[in-house]
Amino acid sequence: MIKIEQEAWDLMVAHAQKTYPNECCGAMLGPIDGDVKTVRVALPLENAYPGAQRERYELRPEDLLFAEREARKNGMDLIGIFHSHPDCDAYFSKTDLENSCPWYSFVVLSIQKGQFHHANSWLPNMEQTEAAKEELEHPNA
Amino acid sequence: MPKILIPTPLRQFADKKDAVEVSGSTVGEALGALTAAYPDMKKNLFNDEGKLRSFVNVYVNDEDIRFLEKDKTAVADSDTISIVPSIAGGR
Ligand SMILES: [Zn+2]
Repeated sequence: MIKIEQEAWDLMVAHAQKTYPNECCGAMLGPIDGDVKTVRVALPLENAYPGAQRERYELRPEDLLFAEREARKNGMDLIGIFHSHPDCDAYFSKTDLENSCPWYSFVVLSIQKGQFHHANSWLPNMEQTEAAKEELEHPNA
Repeated sequence: MPKILIPTPLRQFADKKDAVEVSGSTVGEALGALTAAYPDMKKNLFNDEGKLRSFVNVYVNDEDIRFLEKDKTAVADSDTISIVPSIAGGR
């Protein structure tokens, strides 16, 4: 399961609401203890998708390299990625799946009319054909 | 020997190590040495045709090997190889 701490959560929601009506994205860092991943730090990153960002996001690999280095420097792990779905539900879309990486948790925040609505976490498989829902705990749940 | 930094989710396949030193004078040789030492790592990095999976980017220090010589990119003893995911999406 994945637990998101208050400070990281507030930053994720603020980033998603500020970026609305476009999609936002970022990295989640923290410790992993057995089956429990705890998100302690959220790193908002730039949406680098060159087209309409209302329906797409893209992370620069160098930003993810930076996130990975930040995690190592602070004795934490890169746990996952978050992004927002403006005015639609927090499902894992076909586009999300086809551009995912099975090593990480993918938290999707549904932002409706500019405000946080709900969130889900997803674990895509290696073949990028399906994603399982992961148990998610966050302060607004 | 060049060093490969192992992302957290892959450490379970590398005796829990966060970095592995491997022999090899190119990125291809270094990754080959890594997957030879830790065979369970292979299917995470390469597809059935032996090509790097679409979600895998490889960096030598701060440079993406796609913009260098790809798997023929030379690596020296002092170099650090990073495995970086490629991630995008949309609603
Ligand atoms: Zn999405």
